Amino acid sequence: MTLSAPDIARLSAWLAETDLAELELRGPGCHLRLRLRQDAGHVTPIAEPVTLHSVTSPSVGVFLPAHPLHDTLLAPAGTLVEAGQPVALLRIGALLLPVTAPVPGIVAEILATSGATVGYGTPLVALHPVAE
Amino acid sequence: MIEILSDTALATVQDLGRTGALNWGVGTSGAMDPLALAAGNLLLGNPAGAAAIEIQVFPFLVRFTEPCAFALTGADCAARLDDRPLLPWWSGAATAGQTLRLGLPTGTTWRASRAYLCVAGGIDVPDVLGSRSTQLRGAFGGHEGRALRQGDHLRTGTAAARITGFGAMPPALALPLERGGLPAIRVLPSAEYARYTAASRAAFWAEPWRITPQSDRYGYRLAGPTLTPEAPIELRSHGIVPGVIQVPHGGQPIVQMRDAQPSGGYPKIGTIIEADLWRLGQAPIGSRFHFIETDWTSALAARDANEAWLAGLDRLAGLHRMRSAAR
Amino acid sequence: MTVPVITLLGTTALLFDAPGETDLPTQQRIWALALEAETWPEVREAVPGMNNLMLAFARAPRNLDALEARLHQAWEAAAPLPLDGRLIELPVTYGGDGGPHMADVITHTGLGIDDIVALHTAPEYPVFALGSHPGYCYLGGMDLRISTPRRKVPVLSIPGGAVSIGGAQTGVSASSGPSGWNTIGTTAMVFFDPARDPPALLRPGDAIRFRAERVIR
Repeated sequence: MTLSAPDIARLSAWLAETDLAELELRGPGCHLRLRLRQDAGHVTPIAEPVTLHSVTSPSVGVFLPAHPLHDTLLAPAGTLVEAGQPVALLRIGALLLPVTAPVPGIVAEILATSGATVGYGTPLVALHPVAE
Repeated sequence: MIEILSDTALATVQDLGRTGALNWGVGTSGAMDPLALAAGNLLLGNPAGAAAIEIQVFPFLVRFTEPCAFALTGADCAARLDDRPLLPWWSGAATAGQTLRLGLPTGTTWRASRAYLCVAGGIDVPDVLGSRSTQLRGAFGGHEGRALRQGDHLRTGTAAARITGFGAMPPALALPLERGGLPAIRVLPSAEYARYTAASRAAFWAEPWRITPQSDRYGYRLAGPTLTPEAPIELRSHGIVPGVIQVPHGGQPIVQMRDAQPSGGYPKIGTIIEADLWRLGQAPIGSRFHFIETDWTSALAARDANEAWLAGLDRLAGLHRMRSAAR
Repeated sequence: MTVPVITLLGTTALLFDAPGETDLPTQQRIWALALEAETWPEVREAVPGMNNLMLAFARAPRNLDALEARLHQAWEAAAPLPLDGRLIELPVTYGGDGGPHMADVITHTGLGIDDIVALHTAPEYPVFALGSHPGYCYLGGMDLRISTPRRKVPVLSIPGGAVSIGGAQTGVSASSGPSGWNTIGTTAMVFFDPARDPPALLRPGDAIRFRAERVIR
């Protein structure tokens, strides 16, 4: 996966709208660090407003942002993910289903609470789409 | 085909064990963690008892020489398919030429010691006396009656393309059992239980037991309080089963495990119930645990709970594959 | 012990132990009981031991009392079942490297090696049961004067063909493996081949006679 210039522009715009001072992204073959310049006060948006893609629940189940054997999240905010990559899990009885990113992107926010029972279509993870 | 790349001893082909050959002196063998083997198979749509590879020395590497749907269960070994990390208790699909690497077991929420590599259609080795499990003592079954070696090629059963990319909840988390912060294992007292001193019997339940390095698929030698009979016990040889806790004259117990012989003569203080034997099969050398006394009704309830868990996984995995295939 | 004792081996099997001294007529009743019990739906395998019988469950029954009662009744009804068999002679080298625990048997029994060999080669040993490892036979009929307790710490591996004494029993290992018995000699014979039908050379009802081919003093 690569990030195009418009992607970086959109990310910069998104960063400016948040309280974050810095954004660091790592993915296969990609490392990007964006830092808000203190002297500039703010970053001027140079692209259209950002639309976040929300990844919704494929089924009724228990939302698990980490694998139950792990203490680290599958995809914490800032993770660069490919289309089809699991960003969280859904537990249905003895079964664990992946909650997959429908498009390539950067995880912006985990929306659901770990261990919460969620319904079909519940927004679980906010994804900032990037071009393939 | 699967090619074994690592020169690790002690990985063997196992299924749920060989029954029906006890009268020829043939023990059951079979997976040390039958729940993990069954779960891996059910994720793939295999029969629960299809043959798989049991791995207990790491790192362990295999190469898929052709496309293959597989599932990894048991110990969480931070597995990677080429450079892509895989989740534990998860099914995946390899393309021809890809390498699967299992690292040292990591134990964040569950310390375990054996991993299972199940493949769609099962590991295709001959059925010998009713099972594909490796009979190490008799040097038959499994792959040429021995542990796997570097360069071995294993055929996989023929199977249609499978839906993969989902997993199972580890039963250690779904069916937890502990006492005093240590894993616990339920035991029914055996024939000679009452012939041990009251102090020995009390200590057997109260004190933790440590798994010594002299522990393997045949048996686990435990270290803990010395168990002393009221009078010396000498028995006639009789049938025994995996899970029997024998006490040799030294007073430190040996738990017979899956490669145990089918008969013995040492006194038996108890037997681990079949529903809990996987817990000990996964407990690492050096770790400690407690024995808990149970009764017949509770032991059958534990069996029912395991069976219900597997049946639930089978049903939900089947539904998921059906829905995914329809999409 | 004057009445049979039934105990549990977890949820996998139960053990029926016949009363009295170990002898062939009792074992013949065990064989009869095994034939009967293995037809019961709860029982996957009925496995004779030395004057005892293990019933491995097809599925652990909820009502254990009913099965135990049925087992007691069947034992009362069981008449000795003589099995016709063959007599197999095994040439043995006693003592030396192949009999590393002969010295322990000498110490325990207070007998000389020639007396031990004479007592060990005298009887025809009926095969009571198979067990321990593939093709291994439990034999009856050993002279109690050479009884020697099992070892305090089991030996990690004894070779196939090892002739040994454990308590009041003797036997020959069919393949290398761990053992708690005292090895007094060695013989060469293939007892098990999984490709054969049946895979084991010997079966209950057969008998073994040991012949002293050599005694290493």
